[in-house]
Amino acid sequence: MAEKEAKSIDQATLEMLEKAAQDGARVVFERAETTRPCPIGADGMCCSLCAMGPCRVQPPKGKEETLEERRKRVGVCGATPETISARNFVRKAAAGTASHGDHGRVMAKFFLAVAKGEAPGYEIKDEQKLLQLALDLGVTIGDRSNEEVAIDIANLLVKEFGKQEGELLFLKRAPLKRQELWRKQGVAPRGIDIEVAESMHRTHMGTDQDYQDLLKNAVKVSLADGWGGSMIATEVQDIIFGTPAPLLSQINLGVLKDDEVNIIIHGHEPQLAEMMAVAAQSPDMIAYAKSKGAKGINLAGMCCTANEMLMRHGVPIAGNFLQQELAIVTGALEAMVVDVQCIMQGLVDTARCYHTKVITTDPRAKIQGATHMEFHEHEALESAKAIIKMAVDNFVNRGKNVRIPKQKTDMIAGFSHETINYLLGGLFRASYRPLNDNIINGRIRGVAAVVGCNNPRVTHDSGNLAMVKELIKNDVLVLQTGCMAMASAKAGLMLPEAAVQFAGDGLASVCEAVGIPPVLHMGACIDNSRILMSATAMVKDGGLGDDISDLPVAAAAPEWMSEKAITIGQYAVASGIFTVFGVNWPTIGSKEVTDFMFKDFEEIYGGMWAFEPDPVKAAHLMIAHIDKKRKALGIDKARERVLYDMAMRRELV
Amino acid sequence: MKYKVKTRKSPGRETVEVLGETFEQGKPEDKDMGRWRQKLGSRGDRLKYLETGERYWFGKEWYGSEKRKIPA
Repeated sequence: MAEKEAKSIDQATLEMLEKAAQDGARVVFERAETTRPCPIGADGMCCSLCAMGPCRVQPPKGKEETLEERRKRVGVCGATPETISARNFVRKAAAGTASHGDHGRVMAKFFLAVAKGEAPGYEIKDEQKLLQLALDLGVTIGDRSNEEVAIDIANLLVKEFGKQEGELLFLKRAPLKRQELWRKQGVAPRGIDIEVAESMHRTHMGTDQDYQDLLKNAVKVSLADGWGGSMIATEVQDIIFGTPAPLLSQINLGVLKDDEVNIIIHGHEPQLAEMMAVAAQSPDMIAYAKSKGAKGINLAGMCCTANEMLMRHGVPIAGNFLQQELAIVTGALEAMVVDVQCIMQGLVDTARCYHTKVITTDPRAKIQGATHMEFHEHEALESAKAIIKMAVDNFVNRGKNVRIPKQKTDMIAGFSHETINYLLGGLFRASYRPLNDNIINGRIRGVAAVVGCNNPRVTHDSGNLAMVKELIKNDVLVLQTGCMAMASAKAGLMLPEAAVQFAGDGLASVCEAVGIPPVLHMGACIDNSRILMSATAMVKDGGLGDDISDLPVAAAAPEWMSEKAITIGQYAVASGIFTVFGVNWPTIGSKEVTDFMFKDFEEIYGGMWAFEPDPVKAAHLMIAHIDKKRKALGIDKARERVLYDMAMRRELV
Repeated sequence: MKYKVKTRKSPGRETVEVLGETFEQGKPEDKDMGRWRQKLGSRGDRLKYLETGERYWFGKEWYGSEKRKIPA
């Protein structure tokens, strides 16, 4: 049992792992045991870029290297460990930008189709956000219709992907000093695709072989994600589906129902999921489900599609990344409907033991052995209904081997940047002032973003929970996205009551006054762009310096696994935020590269990386950084309050 | 709502009674309760809100630490 507990701290997960073992179903936790990580690859010391290799350039273990040995430790082409390490890192950052960028591109083109009336069933739901973007991008509003304004915005956003010169439009949202720094360092991205393409070229055999120059490119390509692809996706989705506002929902495998048709939507892009939510509530679909013996249709989410649906509609979440196969193991899942990113191919193998249909819906992401039902946005409702019908038809095939864990936890989600601004100041004076004031007076020590994935190489959810609890105990307000937000929600940290139970007195008093939890759910992984906007608002509101790097803030991804996480971390660093990763660090094999990113980056960008697998120690690193920034701002100590009389005032002049 | 009272130690006095936490359980009864953006009725209201609420980007004056005469 102790061994099982080491796999997760979530009881629903442990229960389903036990059932999977009984049923003979293979899941990720078991595969992680049989497929150990390659130590050379994990350290970034393998170059497989050409057919002269792959070359392994790992340092010798347990002995000092002589200068001669060090000189000889290179690839066949002569590439040094630094070059190889930096190249591997840049490629990861480029892959993350490509993934979020492709998501953003699909959404921008979809937005254009919606504006032109070519996507029936969708509409512009949030005029406020539309106007905001029009002002941002210099699009004329006047008396024009929303659709006319939207077409101009969409055309500008679509062009961001293929733009060859100039700089990304959303960079202008950043603090002025940060913009100046990016320009001075030559890392302001020109477009999105061009930075990905150049990264792939630079890292091709025989091109850029200066690790510092390569890492500069990692900065540039990652900024094309945070202030480019991800930000475009977030903003466009808000316009079409609504900007999130606080709402109540539930999370964990216990949201599945034993008497209804259970469908999980899993992946990242929300347009199908939005229409599934509409179709699942339609009387004809409900009647059809009843005709098959079910009481209704239960839609739940998984991974970031879940976050999108949760943030805007309160659709319950079945679990995070490592629970995707376990939802099938319940035996109560009729369909696992997937689109792109973070979808394990192992789903199909797990589903063989049960009746679940794995349905792929996106032309970019097919899986052998799954059923492909392509989603078409111009006939979205029909596509969604066809998928739901297949799930309903599968209800009769549900066997008797059903066990749904009881665990489900209430949570409050929906904290967009706009909503935080509103909650802190109200409709007539929305403001970040109360947050800044409470940071200055010390009730809130600082703000931390804890984001990212799950990884079976560490105990599921454990790193996140230990880190977040340590942070809020020390009066650090925590902002979360992605699968880490789900881990906190499962533990009850996303309820206002959690402030009294887990937070320090200062943070708890502010949370109580505003009525918010100490841990705020800000959305999916693309919505880390919301965190950039919140940090910028804190700077612009004043009193905490004039750049993001002056703020008492830090970021972390304690259980990261994907290339997207690397990109997110890198754009956080490039935006001036100290960022700590757990699990492993992909350049650890090269001391020079690692030192450059962990130390020299701070001089150049104001933010830097750190690696600490122990989540509590990592939280302490973040708190130490927050304290360093508080000291630099002169808000580290309570100051004596002196009431000035007229004579003292005259002396000041 | 019924207020909670807590007992705390206080300098100069042994214990004092103070008001306990005042939040209500995080379970809004009305599902639209948190949906604040619908309060802005017209396009004019929305544009005005952007100028004031999102003044960091759309206000006609500079704010906070970035207040400067010559924009970068």
